[in-house]
Amino acid sequence: MEAYDSAKATLGGRLRDNDMLAWAASGLEISGKTVRSWEAAAEYFAASPEVQRQLPSGQFIRWSAVGSRLCADSPSLAVAFFKASPGSLMRLRPRYIEDWANLGRSLYRGTWKSSTLACRYYEVTPELLEQLNFVEFTRFSEFLEALSLRSYDLASQCLNDGVDLFQNLGAERESFIAVARVLADKSWRDVRGYFTASAEALPRVDAVQRGRLLTLIRKLVQLGHGNAGEGVIAGAASLSSVPADRQSRFLELSEQLLSTAPEAVPELLRQMPAIMGRVSFNQFEEWQAEGVTAVRENLDAGLSYFRLESARSQEVLDTLASGIELTRIRDLLRTYCRALVGQSIELSPTSQIVEKNIGWVEGDLPTTEGTTIYLPAVVDRFSSKESNFSWYKVVATHQVGHIEFGSFGFDFARPSTVFEDLRPHIPVPERTRAPADPGVPGVPGAPGAVLDELPAEMQEAAKERGIEGQWLTDMGRFFDAFPDRALSHDIFTVVEDSRLDARLLHEYRGIAAAYHTVQEHSLAERPAIDELPMREAMIEFIVRLSLRQRSGLKVPRDYKKVARQIAHLVDSVATHEAIVEDSAEATLRIYGLLADVPNEEIPPDEFDDIDLDDEDEEDSAPPEDAEQYLKALQGAGDSRADGTGEMPEDETEEQGEEDYESPEDVSYRGDFKPELAQLLSQMQMSAGMMDGEPGEPLTEEQLAEMLERSTEVEGEPQEGEEGDQQAQIPEELIQNLLKELARRDPQDPQSSQGPFVHVDEDGGPLEATDERSFVYDEWDFRGGEYKPRWCLVHEKDMAEGDTTFVQETLHSHASLVRDIHRQFERMVPETFRKIKRLEDGEDHDLDAVIEHFVERRSGIQPTEKLYWQRNKVERDVAVAFLLDMSASTAEAIDETGRSDDDWGAPDDPVEYMVWLRSRRAEGLRRSYKRIVDIEKEGIVLLSNALEMLGDRFGIYGFSGYGRENVEFYIIKEMDEPYTESVPRKIDRIAPLHATRMGPAIRHTTAKLRELDAKSKVLFMITDGRPQDRGYSREGVEKEYAVHDTKQALVEARRDGIVPFCLTVDKAGHDYMKTMMEDMSYEVLHDIKLLPTRLPQLYQKLTQ
Amino acid sequence: MTQANSGFTQYKVEEYYIQDEPFYIPQSDEIDIFTAAYNEQIPILLKGPTGTGKTRFVEYMAWRLSSGVNGARPKHGSANGIPLVTVACHEDLTASDLVGRYLIDADGTRWIDGPLTRAVKAGGICYLDEIVEARKDTTVIIHSLTDHRRMLTIDKLGEVIEAADGFLMVISYNPGYQSATKDLKHSTRQRFIALEFSFPTPEIEREIIIHESGCDEQTAIQLAKLGEKVRNLGDFGLSEGASTRVLIYAGRLINEGVAPRRAAQVAVTWGITDDVQLQRSIDEVATSIFP
Repeated sequence: MEAYDSAKATLGGRLRDNDMLAWAASGLEISGKTVRSWEAAAEYFAASPEVQRQLPSGQFIRWSAVGSRLCADSPSLAVAFFKASPGSLMRLRPRYIEDWANLGRSLYRGTWKSSTLACRYYEVTPELLEQLNFVEFTRFSEFLEALSLRSYDLASQCLNDGVDLFQNLGAERESFIAVARVLADKSWRDVRGYFTASAEALPRVDAVQRGRLLTLIRKLVQLGHGNAGEGVIAGAASLSSVPADRQSRFLELSEQLLSTAPEAVPELLRQMPAIMGRVSFNQFEEWQAEGVTAVRENLDAGLSYFRLESARSQEVLDTLASGIELTRIRDLLRTYCRALVGQSIELSPTSQIVEKNIGWVEGDLPTTEGTTIYLPAVVDRFSSKESNFSWYKVVATHQVGHIEFGSFGFDFARPSTVFEDLRPHIPVPERTRAPADPGVPGVPGAPGAVLDELPAEMQEAAKERGIEGQWLTDMGRFFDAFPDRALSHDIFTVVEDSRLDARLLHEYRGIAAAYHTVQEHSLAERPAIDELPMREAMIEFIVRLSLRQRSGLKVPRDYKKVARQIAHLVDSVATHEAIVEDSAEATLRIYGLLADVPNEEIPPDEFDDIDLDDEDEEDSAPPEDAEQYLKALQGAGDSRADGTGEMPEDETEEQGEEDYESPEDVSYRGDFKPELAQLLSQMQMSAGMMDGEPGEPLTEEQLAEMLERSTEVEGEPQEGEEGDQQAQIPEELIQNLLKELARRDPQDPQSSQGPFVHVDEDGGPLEATDERSFVYDEWDFRGGEYKPRWCLVHEKDMAEGDTTFVQETLHSHASLVRDIHRQFERMVPETFRKIKRLEDGEDHDLDAVIEHFVERRSGIQPTEKLYWQRNKVERDVAVAFLLDMSASTAEAIDETGRSDDDWGAPDDPVEYMVWLRSRRAEGLRRSYKRIVDIEKEGIVLLSNALEMLGDRFGIYGFSGYGRENVEFYIIKEMDEPYTESVPRKIDRIAPLHATRMGPAIRHTTAKLRELDAKSKVLFMITDGRPQDRGYSREGVEKEYAVHDTKQALVEARRDGIVPFCLTVDKAGHDYMKTMMEDMSYEVLHDIKLLPTRLPQLYQKLTQ
Repeated sequence: MTQANSGFTQYKVEEYYIQDEPFYIPQSDEIDIFTAAYNEQIPILLKGPTGTGKTRFVEYMAWRLSSGVNGARPKHGSANGIPLVTVACHEDLTASDLVGRYLIDADGTRWIDGPLTRAVKAGGICYLDEIVEARKDTTVIIHSLTDHRRMLTIDKLGEVIEAADGFLMVISYNPGYQSATKDLKHSTRQRFIALEFSFPTPEIEREIIIHESGCDEQTAIQLAKLGEKVRNLGDFGLSEGASTRVLIYAGRLINEGVAPRRAAQVAVTWGITDDVQLQRSIDEVATSIFP
């Protein structure tokens, strides 16, 4: 009653008396409705003052009446209603009060849950109304009601979610609710997912497009295609992959597609980001148009088109896309690189060398470590395919140039061709590690006393050996000569790259145009010189110089002369005659010239333009002042010895000097690490030369020391210890590198395993276990190499059955048998028969000669055909039939119109065993035919005819499980006579396990190879794509198996065997196109044609 | 008996002498070996891939031995020089094609000597190119001519001919090219000394291309480079590298105004392989080399 009193006090002044009475009366009425309605009455009185302020008195009474009615249903409902009223009425037109109350009321169905829902509904109404107009609100309420029919919990959740969700939405709320409404009827379980997805994805979509997207999704849901939540997420992802100004066009296209083939729309939405990753939007439109045609022609084909699963779809994308994927051109480029160098160069995506974690970290820069060329996986730098391919080619050429023109063959002692060598004058620096050889004392530059006693030559040799022993590589020795290793490394890589470019352009003039384009492109990516500190600016100057920029270059004004001298040095190395040692000599000199340049920031106006082609300028030849250059090297080697890791800059250290930073890598030259690469490629070469005598193995310490000195490997910055510049070389990296080195050592037995570890199938090469097992390599198309001794083929003799099958087949196909006989008769060659009456031949044909003379005597024009010749068309054919005995050949053929279920195996294991036993017992009484039966029929008919033809033939079947169990059944060997046992063996051909085609083909090839026949044919009959456990790599099962099979067939062809594949798999064209490429195959659309078609094909093949 | 008509000259097989010095750059000491073998009447087997100059070498030696350059006057041979009888063997080549056969004429039959018989009689060099291609019955006659007997038996005539002193049998074969079943039998190959031919170095090849095709030096350098690069693929799927001959063809086409890349494609790429992938790679090599 407190509420009543306070309300009365407030209302007293505002209401007319009779209204006041009515108010109090309705309060009483409410409180009197049920036992618990006094609560409602209290709320009523509490809310009244607020409500009354907002409502005209007439409405106010109606509000009371509405509340009162609610209370009659449920007091708690009324409580919630009255509680929410003040907030709601602020946003609700008074005339809607009743509707609002009814909407809530309709949620209530007398249960506890529905009451909670309805209460909650009133409770959040003020918040909802803040976001929604009343129409939307009504729709939402209707949706809730519809949903509540299915699940109150879900409806409550949606109600709560809705409150949060609507805050983030704009005008599309109506569409959103519309989708929800449809969902509530069509598939109410998806509602929750839809809400979650929308909350997550919709804000990412441009507000303008949201409504349209939602409408699209609503139509999809209405048509029963796709899941709304997924649709929203996919749609949002699709839209954000499309440029903003094209989004509405994209939706338009999707809407069009919706009218043609609604099923395809979810696929399109799902694939769109992937598509946009490959092509531009305009190109996408073309692709889409093609897809619409595809859908119209055939719905299934069209769907797989939009799923990006059909070959046509991929082809269209490929043609449209300007970007090039490495996988597509890898074989091409690898062969190209091999042609250039004449070595077994491998080609891999850059990610692989990064994964190896042996020092290379840049994932997208091309590089090489001396045997493999690493290229980015995708290139989409230019707008056309041709340009992107050119880029690949230029990069590959440059990288392979490192190998072809000896970047890694640097020899410290080899004289250069352009310069007077300074290297012999480099003082031998003191090293932290005392040399083990007592002949070389640790004193730099001064040979020890022991050496002095030896004859001069030996001294020299010992010294040399001792010195060399200190470094793992000559490259490392060279870089150690510099106090600032990073600087020398940067100079050397740029100069060496520049030398290579010059050499390559000289050797390969055809690539010049593409090369220059790439260089210009790289040049455009370079940072501006005048924004860099001076020393870095000078290095950048060299980089630009090496990219053939000759004018418009800027250099610090004070060092213009130095720049000119440097340019002179770079130019003298950038010739086709220079060798890697010239680059080293140039590095020494440039280093000397740059040693005086402080790395200070200077304002851009202190930079001057320099035009290198201007001949009038002063003489630019650098001074041949060995003293000066060598002086710059002082202090080398001890920089790390003191343990600071910081390069002490001696006297040149000045205020305001920046830390020197290496220049950005030039994108096409990539990440050039001469020292590491030399180490890696040296190992390969030296190990090969050592002839079994193992060299001293590299210790972990040696390697760690080298890496620590080297600036090529970035240590991991120590977290938490900021400011500590010395980075630790991660132990893991050293271990990886050691492994990599060991792998390259051909004496290491592990090396034969190859770098690619099979993911699905671990383990190494296999060994033949008995006389009748054989090992074969397997082709790994990803690595582009064979996995040695990978598969074990077991030869087995087929058991003998009875001859009923063969007899029945011959009997039931009697007319076909006659036809085949007749066909083949025509093929029978007149072997070893003399062909008479030829104009020229081995010898005279006596009959013809007599005739000749008779004719001449009688004055007739005599015949000139007097010779005979042995028939040259000797038919000498050997054919091996290879039958697929995989489990799938057990599939029944729909011959009698039965459905598959009639023979289907029971699911229950026990029943299955029973079923299986009965099926076995059934034996020949089997009422249906399986694929394998048709295969057998074909073979029976053909072999029957072949006997007559006299061709040699073998019949083999294959199956197996796993690489160590490829079963190879011998039904008839090539030279085995066609005896009674052959039909018996044919009878026993039955479906077994999997289909690992590669090894079976290789084994057959080996059999054919031993034969001496003019034409050899490998005739494979199969019912599907190759597959087997672990016949895969990295989950690309299908591809791997198909490629291995293809490789096996290519091998066969290389041995002069004609491979032919006949498949009864109607979908066979997909993979057959890849597998057989330019070899012939046939896809049989109706398996029942096999017995007829087989002899025809045979005839065609062997004629 | 030489007939000179307009446009062509016709020789009898055994009267064909190489008149002008064939262009030949030795790869190594093969000239000395050949000369010595000729003097010692030791048959010679030339091995090597196609287009490495085997035939040219025989021509050159026939000329060189005939004309006696550098005092290399051979012990044997007629005053006119040494005739060169070349027979390209094919799979239908029989013994009678080599030895001779009867022909019918107005009066009955007439025996005609085959090219081998003529070379045996005239004391010339009989060069059987790609010997393994010939039918097996030819080996019988080759055997008696290539050991100490140096005899040719003509069973149809019932005659035996002792070879003239200047006669020498030279055969060639290409080990990589034939199938395993067409290998040369050991009883045959061990009657010969063998000279191995391989592709010339780029420098020598350049000279050859310039001389034979008449193209300019730059083109020749590029063609030689192309040859070298293509041969690098020998271990990677290409069964036979580009012969010097196709490089020369390319050079000649270029001389005729064909664009170098196109010339390389028709003369080299498409000629040596049918493998589409390899063709593309070789094309890329060619486009890198030729501007």
